[in-house]
Amino acid sequence: MSAAAETALLRAPWWLKRHETLLAIILAVALVGLGAFNDRFLTLDNLLNQGRLMTEIGLIALPMTFVIITGGIDLSVGAIVGLSAVMLGYAWKTFAFPLPLAIVFALFVGGLAGFVNGFVITRVKVPPLIMTIATLALYRGLAEGVSQAHSVRGYPEAFYVLGQGDVLGAPTQLLILIVLIVVAGVALDRTTFGRALYAIGSNETAARFSALAVDRAKLVVYTLSGLASGLAAVVLVSRVTTTRMDMGMGYELDVIAAVVLGGTSIFGGAGTIWGTVIGLVMIQLLKNGLALTGVKGDATIVVIGAALIVSVLIASSLQRRRE
Amino acid sequence: MKARYLLTTAAAACALTAFATDANAAGKWDGGDDLATSPLECGTGAAAPGAPMKYDGGQPTHAPNKAGKAITVVDVPKLIGIGYFNATSKGIQDAAKEIGNVKAKTDGPTEAKIDEQIKFIDNSITSGVDGILFAANDPVAIAPVLKKALSKGIHVVGYDANATPGAREWFVNQSPFNGIAKAMVDAMAKETGEDGSFAIVTSTFTTPNQARWIAEMQAYAAKCHPKLQWLETVEAQEDNNLSFNQATTLINKYGDKLKGLFGMTSVATPASAEAVTKAGQCGKVAVVGLATPNAMKPYVHSGCVKSVVLWNPIDLGYAATYVMRAAVDGKLEPGDTSVEAGKLGKLNVINGSEILLGAPFIYDKANIDTFDF
Amino acid sequence: MTAIPVTGAAASRGFLRRFASQEALLALAVIGLAVAVGFVNPRFLAYRNLADILLGNAYIAIAAIGMSMVIISGNIDISVGALIGVLATVSGSLAVAGAPTAVAWLVPLALGILVMAAQGAVVAYLRIPAIVVTLGMLSILKGGLISVTGGKWITDLPQGFHLADLDVLGVPMPVVIMVAATALAAIWMRDTASGRAIYATGGNAEAARLCGVNPQRTVVMVFALHGLFAGLATLVYATQLRVIQSTTPSGLELTIITASVVGGVSILGGAGTVVGSTLAAILIAEITSALVFVNVSPYWTDALRGGLILATVIADIIRRRRRAARGWRT
Repeated sequence: MSAAAETALLRAPWWLKRHETLLAIILAVALVGLGAFNDRFLTLDNLLNQGRLMTEIGLIALPMTFVIITGGIDLSVGAIVGLSAVMLGYAWKTFAFPLPLAIVFALFVGGLAGFVNGFVITRVKVPPLIMTIATLALYRGLAEGVSQAHSVRGYPEAFYVLGQGDVLGAPTQLLILIVLIVVAGVALDRTTFGRALYAIGSNETAARFSALAVDRAKLVVYTLSGLASGLAAVVLVSRVTTTRMDMGMGYELDVIAAVVLGGTSIFGGAGTIWGTVIGLVMIQLLKNGLALTGVKGDATIVVIGAALIVSVLIASSLQRRRE
Repeated sequence: MKARYLLTTAAAACALTAFATDANAAGKWDGGDDLATSPLECGTGAAAPGAPMKYDGGQPTHAPNKAGKAITVVDVPKLIGIGYFNATSKGIQDAAKEIGNVKAKTDGPTEAKIDEQIKFIDNSITSGVDGILFAANDPVAIAPVLKKALSKGIHVVGYDANATPGAREWFVNQSPFNGIAKAMVDAMAKETGEDGSFAIVTSTFTTPNQARWIAEMQAYAAKCHPKLQWLETVEAQEDNNLSFNQATTLINKYGDKLKGLFGMTSVATPASAEAVTKAGQCGKVAVVGLATPNAMKPYVHSGCVKSVVLWNPIDLGYAATYVMRAAVDGKLEPGDTSVEAGKLGKLNVINGSEILLGAPFIYDKANIDTFDF
Repeated sequence: MTAIPVTGAAASRGFLRRFASQEALLALAVIGLAVAVGFVNPRFLAYRNLADILLGNAYIAIAAIGMSMVIISGNIDISVGALIGVLATVSGSLAVAGAPTAVAWLVPLALGILVMAAQGAVVAYLRIPAIVVTLGMLSILKGGLISVTGGKWITDLPQGFHLADLDVLGVPMPVVIMVAATALAAIWMRDTASGRAIYATGGNAEAARLCGVNPQRTVVMVFALHGLFAGLATLVYATQLRVIQSTTPSGLELTIITASVVGGVSILGGAGTVVGSTLAAILIAEITSALVFVNVSPYWTDALRGGLILATVIADIIRRRRRAARGWRT
């Protein structure tokens, strides 16, 4: 960035200097740039399709934003996706549950896995990173053990509406994601629960002294994280028509990348849902736009990595100057 | 406090014992799948041709007629950056150059993940290619996106790892599962003796090709080498060091009882050979497996490994490209029984919509140096 | 580094007592597990098997030393697995290209230090959280390596390249490096001012600054050292087998971080020792091997390993809390 541009930005009003706004501007510039290279990029069809492909990561990124705002982290989300997917197939095939009940069961297992994380983190006071790195191994292992590495296939056609169908001209799961984005955004921005999360993340001890139900709030966010992972698993199974125990492997890093790119502080206390959404869209569309422009997958990964560092660098250095 | 820790350890030990199962009591070899098997006849007789099947592939809808015209093809392997798919990619480029009017590009995920692979195929559809070549990470998971490609008039041909037949037009089969299984088990029985006992090092239990091979190997062994004894199967991802560690663990666990190791991947086989070499067990523990020649040369030359089973992956990619061109040109249509594939000559159609590359190839001391991949 | 005394002798003794038992407990677990598995299958206790467990996993323990330092300083590194893959490829390529063995061994060390020090500088001076920097670097290294090499395996490595095959007085080189690196790092971190500065920075950077420790320089130093250990781990990792895969080992960073945190390194920074992380790396490797020896169904091994890691971690946390309750500093 040139010195002149930097000075101009420094003089800009406060809202322009918010991380999310800056990121949105970077996003817009990147989109227009990539769109100029390829006329198949900025089409409604392609953008809606990208929305379909990013839904699973997006669903998990919402509660992950909550978790990181409280100063925690959840590395087990990808493993919970695998476990819930396996449980969906297992309940449907082995327990012969009707499919809706099997879906509820998969969500329940996801929520339970998250609850266990939250319970041990709040009661035994195991740091979140340690707890979830251990349950990352445990839940993935359970998925393999329960499934005996077998896939479950042949779900009824109606189920595929969720992952492959359209409602009102948009991918079904994208609509679910949008609804949940609004819910999560309002919950974080406009409710006491949301404000409690910020308080916990900025200073947990102070939050406790302020009579906030710190442990309960944490228990809720980790449970939500598991629940969202379960929902992502159901959507993913519907999209790819099969369950596998290795589903969701590596999701944790994709989700965390979207959240921190969106300006949520890894140290807790700061961050927004809107930022996460921009981070999520940015990574997905950057990958897609580069691919359509003819950049190969390995080079795309390099660009994403560099973009992550550089955009956080720019945003934080501008913010610091403002302070 | 120490007592508490001892208690934990004791509890862990109890848990271990509780989970312990007598591996041999299990009816099925670990890592095999549940699909029906069709073991070949014992001995060296030529395989009986399978019963002709009706074409069961899918067809692109409203595909533009590009017969004889230049086409753009994208190749999406299971993952990029491993020797095996580098070789298939080279075969694809070789064929594209030879044919002249095919422009091919290989682009895929860096790890063998189903949803990553789907994204790559989806992007190819949007960018408007004429044909997609794929090697599926999961036959079912990849089907929806391939069907989408067919519905947009894109030709779809698979190689190495199949998708459900309706999701692609043709699949170039390197060698039927039962043929590979026969070659592997025969080689093992020859080296360990008919009553040898062996273990298997595979990638993961969820990898479809490996699961299929293991199931077919079990069926063939039961039929033709009933005294061969399977000990256990271990997972080692596609990771060199992990494969080495797992093979070493097996050697240490069974000692003299272990007469052979099967390597189910091009990573596991050289790593198993290295483990046997390091343990000083060459000649005592046979290593039989699927592998690419370059990685196996040291062990074949040292005599530690007698035979390596594989098809030629360069030929596989080469054949897939010819099949793609023939499908676009209308020279390969449902019901046809063979297709011309350049220097490979005429390849036969089997199982309805599969093109057979040939019998598996055995690399040994005499011929391994003539290959470089 | 400027050497500035941070703590007095009394604190140092308390420090020793505080961590001695964490290491003792891990050592006890290592031995206890070996004995328990030995009952089920005596072959597990064969010298050859125990040696193979150490040999095959020494590189994880060595890399965990640097990771522990990074975590103790209040940071984290997710890029280390990818870096080890890149360094192994560089080392192997040099050896195959005919560079002298010493060059093939030293370049990855230097490159490791350079890459990590650069990341440390971004973390320390530009104040970008380590998780963001190293997550980005993970992508860059992973994609970059495939872009450059195309994943072509490196074969035909020259005979002299295989450092891991050498031994010192009969002790295999990987074990020698692991033990020496752990001992030197432990002594340095415990007994020197620059080593203690890591704890001070991780515990409370502001307080550290007031005590004359430069937290920024400490962070850069810690990352540089982490790069050195990653380089050492690479030497063991790359020279053990006859083939180098030229890809980034998938999930290696998690294995290394797990070894560090199971070893008692506090993820909140400021506490833990590298002896603990080395013992933890050995314990985890031992669990993996033990599960094969006692005939656990291979479908359940990952679940059991995860469960055992979780049990160890929870036991450690409970122990610390009880000590805290009895008035010990934790």
